[in-house]
Amino acid sequence: MTPGSFFCGSADHGVSRRGFLSAAALGTAGTFAADMTQLDVWRHSAWAEDVKKKDKRVILLWLAGGASQFETWDPKPGRPTGGPFRAIQTASSGVQISELMPKMAARMQTTAIVRSLNTKNGDHGGGSSLMETGRRKDPGIEYPDLGALCAKELGRIDSAVPDYVSLYSSTEGRRKGTSGFLGARYAPMFLSENMVPENVRRLETISDIDHQDRAALRDLLAKRFAQNRTSDVIGSHSNAYQRVRGLMASEKLFDITQETEAMRAKYGPTQFGQQCLIARRLVEAGVPFVKVARAWWDSHGQNFETHRELCADLDHSMSALLDDLKERGLLEHTLVLTFGEFGRTPQINPSLGRDHFAAAWSASLSGCGMHGGACYGKTEPDGHTVAEGEASAGDLFATILAALGIDPLKEYTLGARPIPLSDFGSKPIKEVLA
Amino acid sequence: MTTSDPTKLKMTKEIGLPSIAFCVARVPNSGRLIFGSSDFKLHEIDVLAEKPQPVAFNGEGHQSYVTGVVLCTPNIAVSGSYDGKLIWWDIEKREPIRTVSAHELWIRRLAVSPDGKTIASVADDMQCKLWNAETGELLRQFSDHKPITPHDFPSMLFAVTFSPDGKFVATGDKIGHVAIWETNSGTKVATVDAPTLYTWDPRQRRHSIGGIRSLAFSPDSKLLAVGGTGQIGNIDHLEASARTEIFDWQAGQRVKEIVNEKFKGLVEHHVFDPAGQWLVSSGGDNGGFVAFHNVETGKTLHQDKAPMHVHQFALNEAYDTLFAVGHHKIAVFEFKPETPKPAEATPAPAAS
Repeated sequence: MTPGSFFCGSADHGVSRRGFLSAAALGTAGTFAADMTQLDVWRHSAWAEDVKKKDKRVILLWLAGGASQFETWDPKPGRPTGGPFRAIQTASSGVQISELMPKMAARMQTTAIVRSLNTKNGDHGGGSSLMETGRRKDPGIEYPDLGALCAKELGRIDSAVPDYVSLYSSTEGRRKGTSGFLGARYAPMFLSENMVPENVRRLETISDIDHQDRAALRDLLAKRFAQNRTSDVIGSHSNAYQRVRGLMASEKLFDITQETEAMRAKYGPTQFGQQCLIARRLVEAGVPFVKVARAWWDSHGQNFETHRELCADLDHSMSALLDDLKERGLLEHTLVLTFGEFGRTPQINPSLGRDHFAAAWSASLSGCGMHGGACYGKTEPDGHTVAEGEASAGDLFATILAALGIDPLKEYTLGARPIPLSDFGSKPIKEVLA
Repeated sequence: MTTSDPTKLKMTKEIGLPSIAFCVARVPNSGRLIFGSSDFKLHEIDVLAEKPQPVAFNGEGHQSYVTGVVLCTPNIAVSGSYDGKLIWWDIEKREPIRTVSAHELWIRRLAVSPDGKTIASVADDMQCKLWNAETGELLRQFSDHKPITPHDFPSMLFAVTFSPDGKFVATGDKIGHVAIWETNSGTKVATVDAPTLYTWDPRQRRHSIGGIRSLAFSPDSKLLAVGGTGQIGNIDHLEASARTEIFDWQAGQRVKEIVNEKFKGLVEHHVFDPAGQWLVSSGGDNGGFVAFHNVETGKTLHQDKAPMHVHQFALNEAYDTLFAVGHHKIAVFEFKPETPKPAEATPAPAAS
């Protein structure tokens, strides 16, 4: 671990973003030979660009179960499908969102909306898989999800913090995420039961010195074994051990009591708000991808009451997160996303609910690389279909990658098969990019 | 005394609507219904006409769902909406008379005092407000309902009703809390709680559903029926049994618990008969129902499905006809005693 590259988690010892980045660059350079995944970067002499790219972070607010676009980003007041809520003017001229999101309306200069997703899969499992990976399932390939992609593209091999953290506390629709063919190195640190990772503490029966000595011995033996051998597996195995102490020390990052009472109050009392605060602490410490799942939006009954509750939670927590990131100078480097597996039907069912709907729905993208205030695409007046600018899951992923400075057309090679980072045929939505 | 017979319940008419009807008031001694709907409008329809057709009221109306309507006089209706406004209407002209910005958040229900002089409105600002029905003046406002649920989410104030003697107003909220107030002073005189009507899911879905959707006093004002739905396992749906709890509210005791074994969903509205013998409730999930319960035993006298989720109903003067409004439909139910058939003529003895 490079001295200075790790934020201990306390408010008093917060490392500035710039301090963190310079330390990160030094640390990365110092151990680069061990990073098998980064050799391409050396070959292409794009070191400076790579460092710049590594400045980027992502927080995905996963709206599990499928939030209604009508009650969030694409209101249709006065239409038969529109529901009871008004549309309110946002800080971006000409852009209106639901009155259930007043705090986000005031922060629309930070946020772009895509209103024209047609993802064609209204099933929870299939829709989730599609929106996690940006492409349809392929029987022959297990694709990595967005978190794993970002962990690989934005993370550092010597990182003292996890590359991909996923928080999903509710049980409904819980999905761990997958690193697919990228392997276990990019799998998420998955927190489901508690907000603090389990099993990362050093056993009380082993002293810290003993623990370090054991690691040094293991390292010595591993290096001897690796001499004259070339294997990705050996490198990966060794690297996993190198990361252990950092992951152990990352526990404090999840402890929001390290924050001031005033800061905790800004995020509010809900679990989702607290998890958003954890997400900020994680990206501040250098974690490239954090997913916070907010379940469960599947409002087949009482859609309006459900959204009155959940939108209040989303609006407050997301606004607090964006403000906090901005005040710390992190927002321009952190992309905050909201979407789930699909949206909800224009039709209002007899239980005053809305059902699954993937033909015309919305996502939001805030901060890093985005043209804040932009609103792309249009649905027809009742929201049944996309009227302009139809976008696929792949297009959304290409846009996310482009915003992060990652070439969506970059390819991984799986066996002899080239796999582009975003799905074949997908394109970034330039209109929402800065 | 009424001559109705709940066991003879049958639907006699079903009328399709392009919108969802949330509330209804009936012009006395007629089949004329005034209903508020999801198209932000107030409509009139004569359901006893051969081919009933809804006619929308004119003029500057509401800007959201119309969720409450009452008649203060046979020609004056007052409507309330999610837009927070109350609008007074001339029924014959179908035009607005007065608009009042009444609440900061969504108005959920209105009630009118038995003498027609006072209107009560409840909204998600958690306030109950009493209005002079003639002048539109705010008389008083009160609340015993917390704006935030115990689980840190916005609460909702769904239900309001007057006692038949007009002395009391009851209000009911999302978490199952009921407050009873003296109409003339605004003094809180009692509270009761029906927490079973509120489901908070702390683990699977981490939000809530339910709440008190209906309140009704018994004819002697001693009992208060509280309606909604029971504890729900999967809160994506209204999958619990429709539920009514009856309280002796002055004693603070629940005296009956009526769990509908046949129909699920919300009890959206209920009314005691003038003799206090039965209680009619209606509501639903994706379907609807009308159910009659014996007040003394709590047992179901008779019930049947409705062709839609019912949001509210009106009864006629004889308490033998129910006009229900709901999801894209109006339905008329009758429960009249069978008219005895005229005595058959005694056949002439066969010729021998």
